[in-house]
Amino acid sequence: MDAVPAAVSTPPRRPPLPALRAEREGPVQARVRPAPETLHPALWLGHQLGRSPARAVATGFAALDAELPDGGWPRRVLSELLLPHPGIGEIRLLAPPLVAAQREGRPVMIFDPPADLSAAALASLGFDVDQLLVVNTRARVVPGSDSLWALEQALKSGHVGAVLAWLPPRLRAERLRRLQLAAHAHDGVAFVMRELQAAARPTASPLRLSLAAGGADRLRLAILKRRGPPLEAPLQLALPPVLSEAARRRARSALQAPARGLREAVFVNLA
Amino acid sequence: MLWIAVHLPLLSLESFAATLAASGSDEAEAERPIALLEAHRIVSANAAAQALGVKAGLKRATALALAPQIVLGQADAERDAQALLPVAHAALAFTPAVSLQPPLQPGAATDTVLLEVQASLRYFGGLERLLAAIHGALRPLGHLVHVACATTAEGAAILARVEPPPCCTDLAATRAALAAAPVWLLGPGREHWEALQGMGLQRLDDLLGLPRAGLARRFGEGLLVELDRAFGRRPDPREPIAVPPSFESRLELFARADTTDQVLHGAAVLLERLIAWLAAQHAFVRRFRLLMHHEARWQSERTPQATALEIALAEPSRDSAHLLLLLREQLARARLPAPTLELRLQAEDITRRAPPNAELFTTTQSEHEGLTRLIERLQARLGPGRVQRLVALEDHRPERASALCDARAAGAGPESRAGKKRRRNGATGVAANPSPPAGAAMPARPVWLQAAEPLPERAARPLLDGRPLQLLSGPERIEAGWWDSGLAGRDYFIAATPEGALVWIYRERLPLSRDANEEEAGASGWFLHGRFG
Repeated sequence: MDAVPAAVSTPPRRPPLPALRAEREGPVQARVRPAPETLHPALWLGHQLGRSPARAVATGFAALDAELPDGGWPRRVLSELLLPHPGIGEIRLLAPPLVAAQREGRPVMIFDPPADLSAAALASLGFDVDQLLVVNTRARVVPGSDSLWALEQALKSGHVGAVLAWLPPRLRAERLRRLQLAAHAHDGVAFVMRELQAAARPTASPLRLSLAAGGADRLRLAILKRRGPPLEAPLQLALPPVLSEAARRRARSALQAPARGLREAVFVNLA
Repeated sequence: MLWIAVHLPLLSLESFAATLAASGSDEAEAERPIALLEAHRIVSANAAAQALGVKAGLKRATALALAPQIVLGQADAERDAQALLPVAHAALAFTPAVSLQPPLQPGAATDTVLLEVQASLRYFGGLERLLAAIHGALRPLGHLVHVACATTAEGAAILARVEPPPCCTDLAATRAALAAAPVWLLGPGREHWEALQGMGLQRLDDLLGLPRAGLARRFGEGLLVELDRAFGRRPDPREPIAVPPSFESRLELFARADTTDQVLHGAAVLLERLIAWLAAQHAFVRRFRLLMHHEARWQSERTPQATALEIALAEPSRDSAHLLLLLREQLARARLPAPTLELRLQAEDITRRAPPNAELFTTTQSEHEGLTRLIERLQARLGPGRVQRLVALEDHRPERASALCDARAAGAGPESRAGKKRRRNGATGVAANPSPPAGAAMPARPVWLQAAEPLPERAARPLLDGRPLQLLSGPERIEAGWWDSGLAGRDYFIAATPEGALVWIYRERLPLSRDANEEEAGASGWFLHGRFG
């Protein structure tokens, strides 16, 4: 308790704190201000990545783990993913944490999937298909409130291992905030999918990513918001492959000569 | 023998108050003056009414002049009996020997329940704890309860009416307490109250001192019989009540209920009775029915409409909060054709089993139960069939290879089959997932399947959103369904959009067999069928 003031008044007598020993270059400053993360887990400096007390779930991608606070998908909060349309590799990206929840024997709930799910494809990603719960809320006549009600109930109950939800477009900020509060009771990952235009508006969730296709079996991932400094360059992730090696080479060569295809397209549009 | 008498001094007022609409908060509830009439005279009034000067014996008009906002109801012995029954059922959780004390006046409703608890004392950890447990079990029913103990049944019933009710565990104490009790607490004593008072006989020990032959001649044999039973000088056999095999309770609402909230207030009272009945036989309910009898809309309508709400549970339950929540969601969805006059709750389908263990930390069992409840809640609000499970089917056509089925149907057999399957699937998933052996593994399938969308074609390349697709892999031929109506002969390709997103497209093998009008629409035989998510 009195270690820091004592160290300031009589520096030579006490051995320096282990955390401070590394920063010999600025000894005076470092001694006056100990590293904030040693004081409280909720504190961090602007250039560091934040850490939360709940341990994170590994993403299965080393490059992404390195950029996320705590090295993985956070628990007990919403992780917001913005994507232009379904089918750019989002399920392959999110499969590892969801499968991990199923391996622990906890259920995974999917809310309002944008299209029909294929059981064979999910099984090949490692899912236990029988234990997947699919909740369809938008088929009701009254839109809006019901889908969020169901999601909020699932988050609040604390009995669901992981949640993957497609939110209705143009969602108001306070509704998302309500969901974020409900997620505090949810011991697991919670992903919400939203349209790309939502990036212009602020969000209550502490993690916001935008996804885009980055070539065949590749995903371009930009971190728009995280507890920590902004990430300048988007990440390129290699997804679990759908294509064979030869087909991927073919795709790469086709994408590397995009100019011709682009000019063609422009020409066609003008005609 | 040790008897506990549970006396409900305000039973008829409380059973009447239960039929009134909820008036918001508890304070408003307590401040609302209520009184009961019988033959145009007030027979009982609650505290709020008494504060305004309304007391038993007043005429109806006098009471209305004193308190214009008073709610006046008719005393109804049948309604009181309906309200007392759950108290007896709740008492059955503590001892099988529960009996009803006959009423003081013939025609009135009984308001005392007797429990013989000598054999239960050890199990419940002594009289103090047993009394606390009885109070706790009766609290949800919302009655004012007076509890007295005595060594005789009649004595306990008499002492429960004394203020404050004493607790006597041996015969000497029982006799001493009874000796000080007023004479009119004896059934026949009330009949002869005037004469007894005129003779200066106020307490029971005044009677004890008199010659028995004279007492019998003046006041009848009944007075002596009851006196002897109370003091333990004459055997007093009691007939224990039996639990009916099916539950049915009704509540006639005082004012017609227009909103579901008002219906729910009455239904909550009935649910508490249901739970007392379940607790009496250590059972859990699997399905129950709420019947709402509506007001006749026309004079000519002979049999007014009734709405029935059937509530089935995946997991049998006895939790009033959970049942009420399900009822609330169902009521919010139901359309009521007319205001409701009477509610009826019925239940037959129950299951008997040991109560679940209370756990400090969450376990698999409690997790499973919590999930079942969550699914029930979602289905109650969203409608059945909105919470589903994915099932893989054996079919080569991708649109028929998966299906959604009701989550509850699959959840019925909780762990046995599903658990086995999960382990097997998990094993194959591990083998197939990280590095699918080239060529040997099953060909890739997209996560998202959509209805086949025809794609235009330009320069022998299919176009998606006006931009050409790059074919990367294929063809994979799927030819199946000649045995049913869905014949499919397709060559599937994996293609990439210019950004690199992968889609699953197919070319119809038999374009000539398709309709001419689809041909007109520019169908080139290419269809978009899925996207690789």
